[in-house]
This record gives sequence, C-alpha cells and structure tokens, in this order.
Amino acid sequence: MSMNRQTPPRWVEVLLERLLSERDRETVVGDLREEYAESVLSKRGRVGANLWYLRQALSLLRRSLGEEGRMKKALLPLSMFTFACACWLGVMEMMLRHPGYGTRVGVAVLIALISMATVLVRMADVGVGARGERWLWVGAVLLIGIGGQAFVRNARAAHFEGFVLVISVALIVQGLLTLASGIGRKGQARIS
Amino acid sequence: MAELLGTFEQAVLLTILRLEDEAYGRAILSGVHEVLRRDVSAGSVYTTLDRLETRGLVNSKLAEGTPARGGRARRYYTVAIDGMRALNDARKTLAAMWANVQLPIEVQP
Repeated sequence: MSMNRQTPPRWVEVLLERLLSERDRETVVGDLREEYAESVLSKRGRVGANLWYLRQALSLLRRSLGEEGRMKKALLPLSMFTFACACWLGVMEMMLRHPGYGTRVGVAVLIALISMATVLVRMADVGVGARGERWLWVGAVLLIGIGGQAFVRNARAAHFEGFVLVISVALIVQGLLTLASGIGRKGQARIS
Repeated sequence: MAELLGTFEQAVLLTILRLEDEAYGRAILSGVHEVLRRDVSAGSVYTTLDRLETRGLVNSKLAEGTPARGGRARRYYTVAIDGMRALNDARKTLAAMWANVQLPIEVQP
C-alpha cells in the first residue's frame, strides 16, 4: 500500500508507455518514476508531484508526436470535428427543447468557441499574448473535463451511445494536444 | 569548426561531464534544472539528448534498472570526442565575444 503511494498516477504512466517510442519507453518512464518517488514527492507533496508528473508527460507527449507539423495535423481535424459536433448538438437541443436544454446549449456554444479559438491560435498562429494563451489553457482543461464527464456518464448509462463515446474521446484528446502544444511552444522558446 | 552549440545544449553536455559515471536521464534532468535555475521539462531534455546523439556529440548505453524505477532500465550518457570539441569551440567563441567588454557592464536606468 505504502509502496503504491510512492508511484505516479498509473494511467499517465500507461499513456506514456503507449505513446513513447520503443527506445524510450522503459528508460524515460523509469527516470520519471524515480524522480517522482525520490525527489518531487517530498518537495511538492502528492498533488504537486502529480501535477509535475502530468506536465512532464505532456511535454513528452508533444515530443512523441514529433514536429509541430504533425501536432497540427492531429489538432486541426479534431478541433473542426468537435466544432461541428458542438454546432450540431446545440441546434438539435434548440429544436427539441428537452428539459434543461439551456445548459446543454451553453456547453455546446462553449465547446464551439474553444475549438474555434484553438484553430485560430494553434493553426493560424493568431497572436493572443500570454493572457490569451492562459485562457486557451483554461479552455483545454474545460474540454478535458466536459469530455471526461460525458465519457463516464455514457459508460454508466443504461443505453450506451457510440457517438457520445467518439465525441467525448475527441474532446479529451483535443484538450491534451492543446496543452501539450502549448508546453511545446514554451519549451521550444527556451531550448537553444 | 562544428556547428555552434545552443545554451541548452551546452547545459546538457556540461551536466553529463559533471555527472561522470552517473549521467543517466533522471540525473541529467535534475542537473540541468540546477544549472539553469529554472523549471526544465523532460521533453526538452530528452529531445536535446536525442539531437546530440544523432549529431554524434554524445553516446549512450543501457544499464539495469532499480526497484525505485519499477525495474526499468537506465540509459547512461557520455560526451563523445566531437562533443568535447564542440564544447571547447563554444567556450572559445564565447571568450572571443566577451574579450573586449569591460565587466561588469554598466546598466543605466
């Protein structure tokens, strides 16, 4: 039990093991686990250490996806897909007007706005400054939250909906890629 | 003269030199963090290590893991001869650039 508490979040470790190249899979994940257990945990506490680990994983995720061009190739269709889905869901809610539709329309509008902002900032390189970048990060975290909640609710529902699964996974991946590409940009500015 | 090294590349190479036989990923990550006195992401360090190895400036070899790593192997790095040359060149270039500058540089508000 106590041994288990010395280890980083297992799901992030599994994600890294899946995404890193065969050459790095063992060594890099081992390095991070060792640093986490022997240094970061005592300095930053459990929550701080987990955030540190997540940040390292995101920086490695960007690296494993390769150059920024490949990141863009993945982020652009995802953002366009979630934008289209949000518009479709928003319009359907407006037409059907089931109880509580106002909140759902609000969430759809929010997703559409974040996806558009992602395309403009990450793809079209529209300059938004440090404050705008921070808002994009907030948006990315919101997408992960919305996607995660939809994923869990769908998994627990009596009637499993395939399209909800696809959209929720797309939202989570888009959020993670937006965060990873942001860290990558900061990293690139600092390297060399 | 070989292609000049960037500041981050120099920090990584010098950390490997300083760590001697203990220069594996985790130690390099903390070493660079200490040298630069700022938060350094693992992605930046491993990307730089890969680039340096591709350019033939460092060599690496695998070694056994420890229980703290869940038994995962360690990759140890050493600075190659070309890496030493590149560091010497970088140092010489820096010294030449600063040669006629009177220190400390006066800062006028």
